Amino acid sequence: MATVHLASITKRYGDTAAVDDVTLDVADGELVTLLGPSGCGKTTTLRMIAGLVEPTSGHVFFGDRDVTYLPPRSRNIGFVFQTPALFPHLTVADNIGFGLSVKGSPKAAVASRVDEMLAMVGLAGYGARLPAQLSGGQQQRVALARVLATDPTVLLFDEPLSALDRNLRDTLKYSILDLQRRTGKTAIYVTHDQSEAFAISDRIVVMNAGRIEQIGTQTDIYLRPATPYVAEFIGANNGLRGTITGSDGSGDSARWVVDAGGRTLRGLHREDLAVGQSVIAYVRPEDITLLDGAGVASDGQENVIDGTIDRVIFEGPTAQVRVDVGGRELRVDVTGNQRLTVMQRDGRVRLAFGPVALIPAPA
Amino acid sequence: MTIAAGDARDVGAAPAVVLPRERVSRWRQAAMLAPAALLALLFLYAPLAFIVDMSFTAGSSFLARAGPTYTTENYATIVDRYLPNILVTIQLALLATIVNLIFGFPFAYILVRRVRYRDIVRALMVFPMFGALYVAFGLRFILLPGGAADPLLKLLGLPNNAILFNLPAVVFAMAIFTFPFMVMSIGTALSNVDPTLEEAAACLGARPWQTFRRVVLPLTRSGVVAGALMVFGWSVGTFAEPLLLGSIKEQRTLAWTLYQRGVVGNDYGMSATMGIVLLVLAFVVTYFSLRYSRGALVE
Amino acid sequence: MSAGVAARRPRLGARRLAALVSHGYIWLCLGLFVLPFIALLVQSLGARGGTSGIDNFSAAIGSFADNLWWSFRITALTLVIDLAVCLPAAYALVRYPLPGKRLIFSLLQLPLYVPGAVIGLSLLLTYTFVYRFDRSLGLVLAMAVGSFPLMLTPIVVALKDLPIVFEEAAECLGASRWQIYRKVVFPLIGPGVSAGLLLCFIIVFNEYLVTLFVHPPTIETAPLRVFNLVRTAGLAPTTAALAVVMQVVSFLAVLLFFRIFGTRHFRGTYIL
Repeated sequence: MATVHLASITKRYGDTAAVDDVTLDVADGELVTLLGPSGCGKTTTLRMIAGLVEPTSGHVFFGDRDVTYLPPRSRNIGFVFQTPALFPHLTVADNIGFGLSVKGSPKAAVASRVDEMLAMVGLAGYGARLPAQLSGGQQQRVALARVLATDPTVLLFDEPLSALDRNLRDTLKYSILDLQRRTGKTAIYVTHDQSEAFAISDRIVVMNAGRIEQIGTQTDIYLRPATPYVAEFIGANNGLRGTITGSDGSGDSARWVVDAGGRTLRGLHREDLAVGQSVIAYVRPEDITLLDGAGVASDGQENVIDGTIDRVIFEGPTAQVRVDVGGRELRVDVTGNQRLTVMQRDGRVRLAFGPVALIPAPA
Repeated sequence: MTIAAGDARDVGAAPAVVLPRERVSRWRQAAMLAPAALLALLFLYAPLAFIVDMSFTAGSSFLARAGPTYTTENYATIVDRYLPNILVTIQLALLATIVNLIFGFPFAYILVRRVRYRDIVRALMVFPMFGALYVAFGLRFILLPGGAADPLLKLLGLPNNAILFNLPAVVFAMAIFTFPFMVMSIGTALSNVDPTLEEAAACLGARPWQTFRRVVLPLTRSGVVAGALMVFGWSVGTFAEPLLLGSIKEQRTLAWTLYQRGVVGNDYGMSATMGIVLLVLAFVVTYFSLRYSRGALVE
Repeated sequence: MSAGVAARRPRLGARRLAALVSHGYIWLCLGLFVLPFIALLVQSLGARGGTSGIDNFSAAIGSFADNLWWSFRITALTLVIDLAVCLPAAYALVRYPLPGKRLIFSLLQLPLYVPGAVIGLSLLLTYTFVYRFDRSLGLVLAMAVGSFPLMLTPIVVALKDLPIVFEEAAECLGASRWQIYRKVVFPLIGPGVSAGLLLCFIIVFNEYLVTLFVHPPTIETAPLRVFNLVRTAGLAPTTAALAVVMQVVSFLAVLLFFRIFGTRHFRGTYIL
């Protein structure tokens, strides 16, 4: 039973706030990801949860225990670093048993726990090796085993996959998810990679400049970004300013109707908007279908805009098409066969896409 | 004395690694530094302060029951009587430095750029570090009449006493003793210079000499100057070499004279004054050496 | 298209000549470094005055046993003090945000640049007139103050090269401060510490100048004995034998270290 509660924690270094008034509740057994670019304060937040950094103000609770001023060793946490950080002078087995042996567990108990952990991460029989004799992926798995061996109440991950190559990242992120689910431990995971965050999180916290921009599930973040920053960070680079002129539909098909520079767009319903409000409408480059000048949009593509092709940038698996829609430029990512034919297209095209995400325009 | 921190540039100056550890109390941090600080304070700085004080007392009046007589006479005497001692000290150190510069630069360059058997070189280079005493002692055997150097001297038509018990032997021994330090300093600077710069210069049509003058030397100047100053600073304290290999003239170096005046002659005031002069000589150059080395000592 | 005349390879090319001269120069210099030692070795083995090399060495070991014993004991004690003083200081300097730590580090480095005769004289006068305690302890402390910067620098470098993440990992796994030092930090900076030990050993074991000033009458270390004998008794083969023994011991220590750790841990010190 371990919930984590951050009560408006702040960390200042001199005049700059690395983390600014962050409040967050993590439920027992939940995997929450802190997502953001480097320097957004996500790692500092994690280090404050671990006790490696002391907050300037605010409190950290595990369950109902205030751990703000406890050193890391008294918090019973498992911290997985960016690098495996295996002690190079100790064998794999001694690394995994480190946490137990410094707490004075008897040798036999340590040994059996080490074997159990090695089996758990699929490295049975590797105990006698030195870390340098393992591959990067194996090292990170040992780091996981080392952390799990002490049976921590909270698991903390600081971009554990960023030092690995892409294939390994893909397999390891599911191992991490799987281990977290099997052990049922509360976990907080820091990453700058949105696909990693979408793949494993129960909830995602998007951070920027030390503050939380949005907390939500994958679909919340993906379909209903709360701020322009979140929208752009998750890749909805096309933003069109407009004004809400009306609404229609109800339930799942409730829509706001937006006038964006003379074009009518239909956007997902949000409670916090009203007619007359100025908004930014976001649509992702990969969500737009490129049609012939007179093409017909398919089901669900509620928005259709005409435009002219400005420029085509061929990038191999995709082609980037810049389309001018009445003085504003939208980016469309084209894949498959169409990326090869788009080059010959003459200027006039039609863009079709689903309901856009609407965000109140900053004043 | 503020020897500002050329060499300390890097200690903990990398903020990416050094995180403020608020949980470690100031008291504990100070306690960890205390043993080293106390050792330096009690057995270096306090004694130095003591001899500064003593250098202003006349003769052995420090022992007088009535208390010491304070005077600046010692400093006047040093200028009047011991100027040749100061000059010969500077002369020897300067000559050793020049010899090291001339022979050390090519050595460092070849070592860094061409030599693969570095470990052998490193191992043999420690021999001079064992001490000037053995260097001087060994050279004396070689240079004595009937020694190993005889045939070479005859070939050059030099009498034995042109070298031994004369300036060249002293400078030679001093240079061998400090050579590794010079090579270390220049070599560190050289290994930070990208060899492709020299290749680029060569491909642009520069002759080797031009490459050296216009590319290598400017880029290693700080290491060269730092090495030279360091060697000079060490050489002013020379003791065994002039004593074992020099004539009366070379034996007048400050270190040996202050031993004579202080330990043998019990003229503590004069001896302390010479110590201060020697210290100032060494520190002035060391100060500039540390400023120049730009962290060569601590990378 | 006409083929040009193929250039012939010069017999003794400029490159080969340059390589030859370069390596020749290196070996010439290395020869000069070792020359004084070789001279002492030849002298100590030579049969001048009717004694053979073996006799010289057994005489050296025999009559100088006391001096060698003093040297070993004083060196060992000094190394212990150096270590005890430098380990915590280096850790605090590298890991903690001390105010003015560059200045502190410079001030701790300074003893290296004070001429030995000045250290010797100032300590002699201070011991005589101010501090009144056991002079053999005074000798050890004099050795320690002159040599500890040589220990401090390699440890500082080793700590700076050690990513802090190992300490953090240990801390998160529940290790106490002391356990972190003992089980993680100390083993990982071991080579740096050993480099410091070696440098201090070389310097202290062969120190004669400060010793000459501050030694109590009852103690005469081996290098001081060499110095005194050269000054008074001239060039006896037995003295040469003692000097050879000292250098061989020092050199063996160097070789042993290079064998175990290699040479890279001397970064920032006086071996390139």
